Amino acid sequence: MNPLRGGWIILLSIAIAMMLAVAHLPESLPQWLGWLRPAWVILVMFYWVMVLPDRFGMISAWCVGLLLDVLRGDPLGVNGICLATMTYVTWSLYERLRMYSVPQQGVVIFALVLGADLFRNIVQIFARDGHFDWRFVLPGLVSMLLWPLVYALLRRIHSQFGVD
Amino acid sequence: MLLAVVDVNSRLLDPVRTVLGTVVIPLYVFAETPYRITTEVTESFASRGALRERNSLLERRVLELSQISQQFAVLREENTRLRALLGSRNRLGAEVLVAELTGVVPGPATLEVIVDKGLAAGVTVGQAVIDAQGLFGQVVEVSEFFSRVLLVTDSTHAVPVQVNRNGVRSVAAGTGQLDRLELEHVPITADIRTGDLLVTSGLGGRFPPGYPVGEVVRVEVDPARVYAEVVARPLAALDRSRHVLLIFDERSAAAALEESAAALEESAAALEESAADSGGTGP
Repeated sequence: MNPLRGGWIILLSIAIAMMLAVAHLPESLPQWLGWLRPAWVILVMFYWVMVLPDRFGMISAWCVGLLLDVLRGDPLGVNGICLATMTYVTWSLYERLRMYSVPQQGVVIFALVLGADLFRNIVQIFARDGHFDWRFVLPGLVSMLLWPLVYALLRRIHSQFGVD
Repeated sequence: MLLAVVDVNSRLLDPVRTVLGTVVIPLYVFAETPYRITTEVTESFASRGALRERNSLLERRVLELSQISQQFAVLREENTRLRALLGSRNRLGAEVLVAELTGVVPGPATLEVIVDKGLAAGVTVGQAVIDAQGLFGQVVEVSEFFSRVLLVTDSTHAVPVQVNRNGVRSVAAGTGQLDRLELEHVPITADIRTGDLLVTSGLGGRFPPGYPVGEVVRVEVDPARVYAEVVARPLAALDRSRHVLLIFDERSAAAALEESAAALEESAAALEESAADSGGTGP
């Protein structure tokens, strides 16, 4: 009845996450608010990998990462590696992760986002002569706090559209 | 990882970026929709009185500008003649292309925007971008319909400038803050004052000369240090401009170099000739 088995919902949710990842704040707000942007793409991908590990693998994660690189102007492949590694971790732990409570999953997300941001930061330092800024832990924290909301929303969409 | 290293250190992957960018960058258009909608709504609900007021303001502005441009035409003629007298090549009026901002690249550490003209409109990497007030940045990446512009205040950006008042040259480097530029390696004896206008000097060949970049807001001279600390405020409305101009410099830097070399040869030949002449007719 559903030949794609809701694949387009997965794609659409990731596209929206990418859009949120580049949507900018109104200019009237102070610039440092940019540090509080949650890692939308990681949040959404974490959900799909955890719930449907057979639908979303490392290759697709890497491709999404490549698109994200182009979108954000990062060196090609950096987000690819981050997302693929993150997918691998989630994928190898998904049975355990499903048992966790939602806040506990949030802590795992915090660790994943922190790792990804640390890696990106180091690459940025090499690629653009940037300097290390401790505020890079903030996106992880915000993502952790937002996870229950994202989880509830995605589960709703998941069951509504019958993605399996 | 290898991909990242190749990408950072060479331009080999630029075509890949261009192709993928053509697919992905339109996402910015969607990301920007809320702002478009709010602008549309505020504009369509603006009161008649406010619109009339704005209209008369704009008319006044047009009058002022047309007066200036009349003077400009005369001055340009005069300048060309004087330059011809001095024997240096005259500056061409560069062609421009109006582009609209489609998105702001997020990330507090990078200052980049996306504009809605790309390869299809003939945009190339390295083109200078200005807005109504001053130098805005330069194109760093093009895809089919969009391109990415690095702002002058990005921490990886620097532009050769000179003080409009006396021609003191320097390099204005971005700091990563939207409203702050710093002049690099200014000797403490240099004649730079608060309020000085900085314009592009055209050295390095990337930016056309003569576009305003910033205004000096602070000069700190510490006799114990070799360089003075000079802070400038960029003139372009980096966080407000919705429309920018892409400048097409008619000649590439190579052509200009070739020409100046030819001119040098010519003048050398002329000198030799005159030397020979004076040698021949001299006592």
